Amino acid sequence: MSATQLIVIDTPPYGDWRGREALDMALSLAAFDRPVALLFRGEGVNWLRPGQEGSAISQKTVSRNLGAARMFGVAEVYADSLALERFAVNGPDPEAEAVVPNAAFYGDFSQVVQL
Amino acid sequence: MTDHDATTLHILNKHPDHTRFRACLDAMAPGDALLLIENAVLALADVAIPLPEVTYALQADCEARGLSAHRPREVEQLDYIGMTHLTDRFPRLISW
Repeated sequence: MSATQLIVIDTPPYGDWRGREALDMALSLAAFDRPVALLFRGEGVNWLRPGQEGSAISQKTVSRNLGAARMFGVAEVYADSLALERFAVNGPDPEAEAVVPNAAFYGDFSQVVQL
Repeated sequence: MTDHDATTLHILNKHPDHTRFRACLDAMAPGDALLLIENAVLALADVAIPLPEVTYALQADCEARGLSAHRPREVEQLDYIGMTHLTDRFPRLISW
């Protein structure tokens, strides 16, 4: 059984491509049946904010990209509860929620590392 | 003659954790105004950031990030035309 790979997204959803590239990497690994988990922390939790409209700045809305994570088989999705609180993200985007049904929220990083 | 003779409009596009975000806030003088664009609008939802009294945000960037419907803080949101008019009212502009 190969080890689960944890992909961390800690950059805001728009403005640069680092977060999208990290998600693409997770989807590619999952597509080849590698166990993958996603972790949103710091400013990355803004990916999970409801009501995003990427078209307002001619970009794709990221929560729809997240929709692919489930289809590809990304097993676990985590979000930093302290960051969710800091950025007043009250629960994942309903669309993303379809992707993040098993989202586990954790208090500090060490909890995730022990999983 | 502008209505803000000696003040400055600070235009900020950095995300809240960027070093220049704090540098901009520190550089603001009484009477100055702050315009948040791109990832800087995330500060509207960031409870850790005290925003200056006169703060504006670009509507399109707020919409993209889900900060129009869900308004954590009451800040005037401007469209692109409004942003242009705002820059016309200040004798000095700084883009951070």
